[in-house]
Amino acid sequence: MKSDKPISPPQFLLKFFRLFCDPKMVEDIEGDLVERYELRTERKGVRKARWLLAKDVLQLFRPGIIRTFKGTQKLNYYDMFKHNLLISLRSFARHKSAFFINLIGLTSGLACALFIYLWVADEKGMDKFHTLDNLLYQVMLNHEESGMLRTEEWTQVHLADVLEAEVPEIKIAVPGTPKAWFGEMPLTYQEKTVKAEGKFVGKEYFNVFTYPLIHGDRSKVLAKKEGIAISETLAINLFGSAEAAMGKTVEWSLLQFSQNYIIEGVFADTPDNSTDQFDFLMSFEVFRDMVGRDVQWHNYNSMTWVVLEEHTDVAALNAKLKRFVKERAENSNVTLFVRSYADKYLYGNYENGVQAGGRIEYVRLFSAIAVFILLIASINFMNLSTARATRRTKEIGVKKAIGAGRGQLIAQYLEESLLLTTLSALLAIGMVWLLLPQFNTLTDKQIVLAFDQNLISTILGIVLITGLVAGSYPALYLSGFRPVEILKGRIRSSVGELWARKGLVVFQFALSVTLIVGVVVVYKQIEYVQNTNLGYDKENVLMFKNEGKVNANMRSFMAEVENIPGVQSIGATSHPIVTAGGFTTDLHWKDKEAGVEVRFNNMSTGGEFIETLGIEIVAGRALDPTRETDYENKIIFNETAISIMGLEDPIGKTVNLWGKDVQIIGVVKDFHSQSLHDAIMPLFIRLDEEFLTDMVVRIAAGQERQVVERLTAFYTSYNEGFTFDYHFLDQEYAAQYVAEQRVSVLSRFFAGAAIIISCLGLFGLAAFTAERKSKEIGIRKALGATTASIVRLLSTDFNRMVGLAILVAMPVSYYLIKGWLDGFAYKIELNVWYFAAAGISALLIAWLTVGMQTLKAARVNPSKSLRNE
Amino acid sequence: MGKHHLGEFEEIVMLTVAILHGQAYGVAIIEEMETRLKRSVSIGSLQTVLKRLEEKGYLESEMGEATKMRGGKRKRYFKVTNMGKEVLRQAKDQRLGLWNAIPDFV
Repeated sequence: MKSDKPISPPQFLLKFFRLFCDPKMVEDIEGDLVERYELRTERKGVRKARWLLAKDVLQLFRPGIIRTFKGTQKLNYYDMFKHNLLISLRSFARHKSAFFINLIGLTSGLACALFIYLWVADEKGMDKFHTLDNLLYQVMLNHEESGMLRTEEWTQVHLADVLEAEVPEIKIAVPGTPKAWFGEMPLTYQEKTVKAEGKFVGKEYFNVFTYPLIHGDRSKVLAKKEGIAISETLAINLFGSAEAAMGKTVEWSLLQFSQNYIIEGVFADTPDNSTDQFDFLMSFEVFRDMVGRDVQWHNYNSMTWVVLEEHTDVAALNAKLKRFVKERAENSNVTLFVRSYADKYLYGNYENGVQAGGRIEYVRLFSAIAVFILLIASINFMNLSTARATRRTKEIGVKKAIGAGRGQLIAQYLEESLLLTTLSALLAIGMVWLLLPQFNTLTDKQIVLAFDQNLISTILGIVLITGLVAGSYPALYLSGFRPVEILKGRIRSSVGELWARKGLVVFQFALSVTLIVGVVVVYKQIEYVQNTNLGYDKENVLMFKNEGKVNANMRSFMAEVENIPGVQSIGATSHPIVTAGGFTTDLHWKDKEAGVEVRFNNMSTGGEFIETLGIEIVAGRALDPTRETDYENKIIFNETAISIMGLEDPIGKTVNLWGKDVQIIGVVKDFHSQSLHDAIMPLFIRLDEEFLTDMVVRIAAGQERQVVERLTAFYTSYNEGFTFDYHFLDQEYAAQYVAEQRVSVLSRFFAGAAIIISCLGLFGLAAFTAERKSKEIGIRKALGATTASIVRLLSTDFNRMVGLAILVAMPVSYYLIKGWLDGFAYKIELNVWYFAAAGISALLIAWLTVGMQTLKAARVNPSKSLRNE
Repeated sequence: MGKHHLGEFEEIVMLTVAILHGQAYGVAIIEEMETRLKRSVSIGSLQTVLKRLEEKGYLESEMGEATKMRGGKRKRYFKVTNMGKEVLRQAKDQRLGLWNAIPDFV
């Protein structure tokens, strides 16, 4: 291996090294590499030396050795970029007020948009987590009633079995009850009783809805009639752990029913993004035993969910299923169709059998608000940039004179707006992160700021679009100046440009005013709903579950409660009062036309129910729990029912209910027994001892606390093993409108943000105008103008713009808000004052904003503004 | 300690540069370290440390003459600066102080 001539090392390795190495270090390190290679060839041989050289070169590929990208001629774009960045930062620093107005506006705008995005994403993700989501459908029934279609999700109890057996497109059909029908039911293990919400479901339930099971087999959990599946939390409450629960026996009871169940499965608690929240599931067979096993096509006591075969044409299936019930049941008035299960949450409303919105309207509304708020913030940027253009004309002129193309200038201004938007986005993310807990309380959600791919791409998208939108107009406008004119100091602001700026302000304020009108009307409607006369007195009424010994000895229990001081009356009911309860169409009267089906709300009551709720009797008498005959064949209708049946002088007449003649003894004034979204339905009230799920107690006003204490003491001693869980009817009622209430609160916040951002823009413009006109003001003052006249001079323009915005906003907001109100059967009249109030408040806020600036400008000593020339 | 903190490898490199006294360039330093300390050192790790120490002002360097060896490339000779010497001394004193503080060390 001896040779005088040094063996040259592989050149490609050295070339590669030269490529990445910092030029300052390249010579000596290359020398080292070669020297080491030479030494190694002598000691270890060429092959080894080559490998080691390669290793050395690779190990040199590290920060500190790799050349920095600074200032190489090849990367000219980088330098341009850096230069623009520097200019942007300098302009931010020089025009601090404009910069902060833009930054604050964009930050709050982006934060609002981000919040709305998180909310919308959460809403849209509801119920989508089931593995079979795209094949998972719910069976819906359209009821034909007096020429109209009413859509309901209640189906016949046996429908699932029939569908699965007879329709090949349906792979699995599973029935179930809604948990709301039973409320909380007690489950007892040894000495311990826990109340939990549960429902009856078919045995394939877990194969249709893929809630994760911790213990147990999906197909077997509900296979046995005495099998029950409970949630992890319930298992921990009753047995200490999920494992311990398996195979144990619990006693379940509801009204007069009770049964022992063996725990066959434990499922993970239902996730937050599931609309259906329950603690335990029991076999549907038990429920069928309760309601009777004969085939009833006219009773609707359950819901039915199906899994379709893959590649099923849903439209064709719906066409085929339409007459499914009618073919099997004579004079049925229902047609059947299936609807995607996940659509239930957002697309829940039907009008005359056609899908008509639902929560999706709120999702759309808030998405629109997000876009509007971002637009408003972008407009601020546009207006302030173009208005301040005069300040930067020299820069543009010089740049153009030394050869900058228009494209480069456009790029510069877009870069500036993108930089600002990025800065704002970072601040906005911080803001969202800080305020998320409050936002979650407000919306009753558990949203987390998880930076997954979706969120990151959305944020990037929003930043990019906002930056481009905000930057586009200034970029095009500023880059269009002609250098000669600029450098000579002549710029004419064209009429078009002035109009554009004014138009943008008008647009901005029109949006804000529309939002304010919306907020006012939503607030008023909610207030109306809370305070409207429901036809019964919801104050001071206590409700609690009828269970245990209370249910067994109802009459004696009621008698004893009535003796408690402060209790005015007590009754019981099968109806949740605030929302729709059970109904029947099996009620016939003399002269009823054949083929007409009328749905009657069915209220079974006990005790002095009508008196307790304070429902007004317009004719006849109330039901008397002390008369045995009143239990057998007496009935009371509401006014709507009487007018639908066309009965004149109804007292004493008989109608046929469930095949039995009953006598009308009274008529009550119409009252709202369901949501105010719906019109009052025909209704009848009977005395009955079965299925009375709730007790209602009216207590004396002003001594609620004492009476509740007495009631609690009495109840716990009377009904051993049960706790006295009560709630007030008015709270229960308010809970129904929680969705509207949340929307109302949320929209208030967002409208507030919109108006603040708009005002920021106006503030900036006013400040700028005042600054530009400082000479004019100085001269006018020197010549004797008063402060008031100068304020007027400066603010006329703004007043005109805001006034125009209000005019534009009125019809738009009227149209939009009317659409929302139409969703309520009972609603406020649109008062002109709602619009006037919104307009005036917008005007006032604008005056305040502009006024401060103009006043400041008008009070400057003219010698000051005129001296510095 | 504090701002004049030297890493273990930094210290060894500076000591080696001091040992070589005017003849300290890349390969020589590596050779010296490999023979004295029996530890293999890559050019990459050495050069980054040298650069860092020079930036801190503990070392200074100048280019030598070109020779026919090493593909005609010049060598960069390193020298410990006064500040570097001070830091080295400090490190040594600290070590010694620690050693002396150990009672009955065999």
